[in-house]
Amino acid sequence: MKFIGIVGTNAEFSYNRLLLNYMQKHFAAEADLEILEVTDVPMFNESDDQTNSPIIQTFNDKITAADGVIIATPEHNHSIPSALKSVLEWLSFNVHPFDGKPTMLVGASLSDQGSSRAQLHLRQILDAPGVNAAVMPGNEFLLGNVQLAFDDEGNLKDQGTIDFLETCFSRFMRFTKISNLLNIPEEITFTPGTFDVTTPGHNGDLPMKVTLSKKRIEKIDIDTSKETEGIADVVFERIPQEIIDGQTLNVDVISGASITSHGVIDGVAQAVKMAGVNPDYLRQRPKAGALQAIPDEEYTTDVVIVGAGGAGLTAAAKTLQEGKQPIVVEKFPAIGGNTVRAGGPMNAADPEWQKQFPAIPGESHTLQEIVAMDPESIDAEYRPDFLALRDQLQTYLAENTDENSYLFDSTLLYRIQTYLGGKRTDLNGQEIHGQYDLVKILTDHALESVEWLEDIGVEFDKSEVTMPVGAIWRRGHKPAKSVGYAYIEALSNYVKAHGGQIMTETDVTSLIDEDGRVCGIVATGAKGQKITIHAQAVVLASGGFGANTQMLKQYNTYWTEIDDDIQTSNSPAITGDGIRLGQSVGADLVGMGFSQMMPVSDPETGELFTGLQVPPQNFVMVNQQGQRFVNEYGSRDTLTQAAIDNGGLFYLIADDNIKATAYNTSQEKIDQQVAAGTLYRDETLAGLAQQLGMDPAVFEQTIANYNRYADEGLDPEFGKDVFDLKVEKAPFYATPRKPAVHHTMGGLKIDTKAHVINETGQVIKGLYAAGEVAGGIHAGNRLGGNSLTDIFTFGRIAAHNAIAEAAE
Amino acid sequence: MKLIGIVGTNSDHSTNRQLLQYMQQYFSKEAEIEVCEIKDLPAFNEPADKVAPATVQELSNKISAADGVIISTPEYDHSIPAVLKSAIEWLSYTTRPLIDKPVMIVGASHGSLGTSRAQGHLRQILDAPELKARLMPSAEFLLGHSLTAFDDNGQLVFPEKVQELEECFEEFRDFVTINNELVKNHQAKAELNRQFSWELDANGGQN
Ligand SMILES: Cc1cc2nc3c(=O)[nH]c(=O)nc-3n(C[C@H](O)[C@H](O)[C@H](O)COP(=O)(O)OP(=O)(O)OC[C@H]3O[C@@H](n4cnc5c(N)ncnc54)[C@H](O)[C@@H]3O)c2cc1C
Ligand SMILES: Cc1cc2nc3c(=O)[nH]c(=O)nc-3n(C[C@H](O)[C@H](O)[C@H](O)COP(=O)(O)O)c2cc1C
Ligand SMILES: Cc1cc2nc3c(=O)[nH]c(=O)nc-3n(C[C@H](O)[C@H](O)[C@H](O)COP(=O)(O)O)c2cc1C
Repeated sequence: MKFIGIVGTNAEFSYNRLLLNYMQKHFAAEADLEILEVTDVPMFNESDDQTNSPIIQTFNDKITAADGVIIATPEHNHSIPSALKSVLEWLSFNVHPFDGKPTMLVGASLSDQGSSRAQLHLRQILDAPGVNAAVMPGNEFLLGNVQLAFDDEGNLKDQGTIDFLETCFSRFMRFTKISNLLNIPEEITFTPGTFDVTTPGHNGDLPMKVTLSKKRIEKIDIDTSKETEGIADVVFERIPQEIIDGQTLNVDVISGASITSHGVIDGVAQAVKMAGVNPDYLRQRPKAGALQAIPDEEYTTDVVIVGAGGAGLTAAAKTLQEGKQPIVVEKFPAIGGNTVRAGGPMNAADPEWQKQFPAIPGESHTLQEIVAMDPESIDAEYRPDFLALRDQLQTYLAENTDENSYLFDSTLLYRIQTYLGGKRTDLNGQEIHGQYDLVKILTDHALESVEWLEDIGVEFDKSEVTMPVGAIWRRGHKPAKSVGYAYIEALSNYVKAHGGQIMTETDVTSLIDEDGRVCGIVATGAKGQKITIHAQAVVLASGGFGANTQMLKQYNTYWTEIDDDIQTSNSPAITGDGIRLGQSVGADLVGMGFSQMMPVSDPETGELFTGLQVPPQNFVMVNQQGQRFVNEYGSRDTLTQAAIDNGGLFYLIADDNIKATAYNTSQEKIDQQVAAGTLYRDETLAGLAQQLGMDPAVFEQTIANYNRYADEGLDPEFGKDVFDLKVEKAPFYATPRKPAVHHTMGGLKIDTKAHVINETGQVIKGLYAAGEVAGGIHAGNRLGGNSLTDIFTFGRIAAHNAIAEAAE
Repeated sequence: MKLIGIVGTNSDHSTNRQLLQYMQQYFSKEAEIEVCEIKDLPAFNEPADKVAPATVQELSNKISAADGVIISTPEYDHSIPAVLKSAIEWLSYTTRPLIDKPVMIVGASHGSLGTSRAQGHLRQILDAPELKARLMPSAEFLLGHSLTAFDDNGQLVFPEKVQELEECFEEFRDFVTINNELVKNHQAKAELNRQFSWELDANGGQN
């Protein structure tokens, strides 16, 4: 028989450890007792899941594989030590190796009581549903006055005590045998057939057909059409496979797509139930491929790239084009990062193309405003460009006075708008604007990036020039296929077709730094194995830190407040890892205090595309008291700060006509959300106010005023001057909104060759960074559509220099 | 009256933290409650020198200076979280500021039972000889369904729970006053308790 013994304390000296050592020796002929120490187990923390750390995986794997467990607990303050409690918490959180496991308690203490109270607590703890151990009843082995119990060889002195321990142990061997019979999987027989089931997915219903034979789950056919391409795909590739391979419903959900994952698992469970079997039996089965310890891995390549988002895949494709071999390591099961979520086109000035489109009202006014700016207000490094732009604009404006004028653009206009758009001052009075040399590269090479992407296989829809939200100007190049995914699909196809390697579920934890040169990475694989990759250069492309609230709060100098429970539109993977990796080798940071919020996000999930999202001219925003509080046509940061000042949560009000202008939804989704309580609907304004806990009279007055301002075209309260529809036709809707983190402008300091720069202004050899992980370009505020340009431009630059300099 | 509220968890999102923050604000006229975190204390590891790390000493000083302590505990696996246990172990192993200190236990859980089992354990723990806290007898405040208990402004939305908490808190204030009268004349015994050691005890007082 194979047992695991757990020493219930992290103290350097422990009688309980002596006791287990003694048992190991004494019972060696009957059982193999392997002793595990809790000393290196981190303190349990729900907010910092370390289930995948090697130490917890060791506990999990060994306990799972053992026939039974013996816990030796000291008594601290009438209970068990925190160090033991912490391990039990980890092992009842995301993994549950104690479930049904035969367990014996022993304890030694200095008092006569011999840890009796601690053992009673421990029994109750092991009985909690998350632990659910099969604790042997009775047979309490309590070793009191333990300081007198052992001789110098660590053997128990008292024969009576030894006899009792032997009795307890032999009972435990029998108990283990019998208990484990209960752990043999339940015999199951399905009523064979194909079952149609539907569960809620992320974007609506998720219908599927599940085929069961008498003994097996044979086939899972899912209608995947509604779920998000590029995000939910891995779920469909992996979860049905794991269910069928392991004939189990005990499968891990995919991080970043847990909703779809649960949809699939629950659907199969429903079918199993329809076939007459309790799905819990299948949930208790082991995972597919569980328990296989994976050996550590080691690779050597030319360039290793951290993160398979847009910047990382671009660097990989460029590496291949230059005849070198890249490995891209990605911590999530799915590639794409935030890039796959991007909803907008990318910016690039292409005057020849833009010329084909007529100008629209207001655009010449924007240009006139630039011409009218005082050159002294422009920072010196941008002033020559500004003056040259002013000449361009004056010429254009002089020649284009009629309605037939065309859409103007130039690299200079793009550069100055990027600069002006990013210029901000934080709460400490610190001014920031984009670093000139980086902004120049971005704007000079943007069009080249579009053309490069076309070569890679991204097809753009040239029939339309769009203005991404928050972009200030119409210079957006929009892929023909669904936006963010189009880039990721083309780039990853290119990388794979040309022999590049992308390793998913590989979380980079440190850089290899030899003689002041970065030459590889160390990562943790899906099964906890250590993966080492040696390379001539490392490119950090791991994105920003929008999903790391602690880090946002640590650096924030721009917002008066960032809530602990603030949501984000970002992938949960975007936690600033690359910034920490860079810092570990001395990297300097820039602009870290500046983050961009999306004011109109879902308060529960941070997503943009729930509720009714309508064009800003139709935004009617009211606070929790039912009053308007801001000019709804304002910029993202004005709306965000106004929302923060009004307690965060606010509502977007719509009537039936405004609802019709929503671009994100369908009647099915609306009904689903109303039913779920995430969107409010009512036949009257007063009723809506009541649902929202507002004073109906206040709310009705607010809407009456808004409608009057819409008629008059001007809002004397907050200055809204662009209106479309009024709020008048029932039913009325309220979409709850709250600002969520959208983008982080700050990051690693880089130079024009994408080198990471250290705190003394020197290049860190072998280390490059591209994309949201780097700072300096977007400064205080990123223009919509500029990130994509950034990642495809600097991703190429990073790879090019990494290869060129390795050759030197 | 000056009280210390200890958040019994290191989780970023805790309804027990919300509960203490709510009490702090709701009872601001009756008492000054300082909410203290334990998430940055090191994990207890029985160091031979028995010296409290700076963060533990800081918490200990606050407790010593306060008239009473409120502990808000989550329930993990039918007991208190390891991180709270670790904080208590530090206090019991080094400075022992809880001796004779009036303590009120509250707790919030996502399920319906409101940490009843964790609170039971916590009472037994605080009664251990090296802690000897003065626990308010028989009054428990259990907040079940804690995920829906607070609105966006941190207000407790169950009216019957607000009332129960008011009653409990009033009783606790009386308890603090009476207890602190009682222990005035008890300094010598408290000092003895501070000297208590399981090692000494086990050796019949000979060390
Ligand atoms: C909802 C949404 C909409 C947006 N819309 C637009 C838009 O319309 N236009 C625009 O220009 N910008 C937009 N943005 C911003 C833009 O998408 C991002 O700034 C950009 O995609 C960042 O690209 P990246 O390659 O730097 O990082 P990402 O694409 O985020 O990729 C980083 C990758 O690194 C991986 N990673 C992180 N840490 C590790 C580690 N330790 N080990 C291994 N891998 C790691 C991550 O899992 C991720 O896959 C939007 C962002 C969001 C969230
Ligand atoms: C545009 C967009 C589309 C998404 N589509 C899906 C989807 O189809 N399925 C899914 O489970 N999650 C999807 N998500 C992600 C979830 O909204 C959420 O961010 C994610 O589930 C959180 O991580 P978790 O699943 O690990 O909890 C999408 C997010 C965005 C921004
Ligand atoms: C490892 C673990 C074990 C848990 N065990 C319990 C339990 O036994 N009883 C319970 O009511 N809640 C349990 N929970 C759920 C909640 O964390 C618990 O209800 C807690 O009291 C909520 O308090 P908080 O909001 O301050 O974290 C457990 C959670 C974790 C992570």
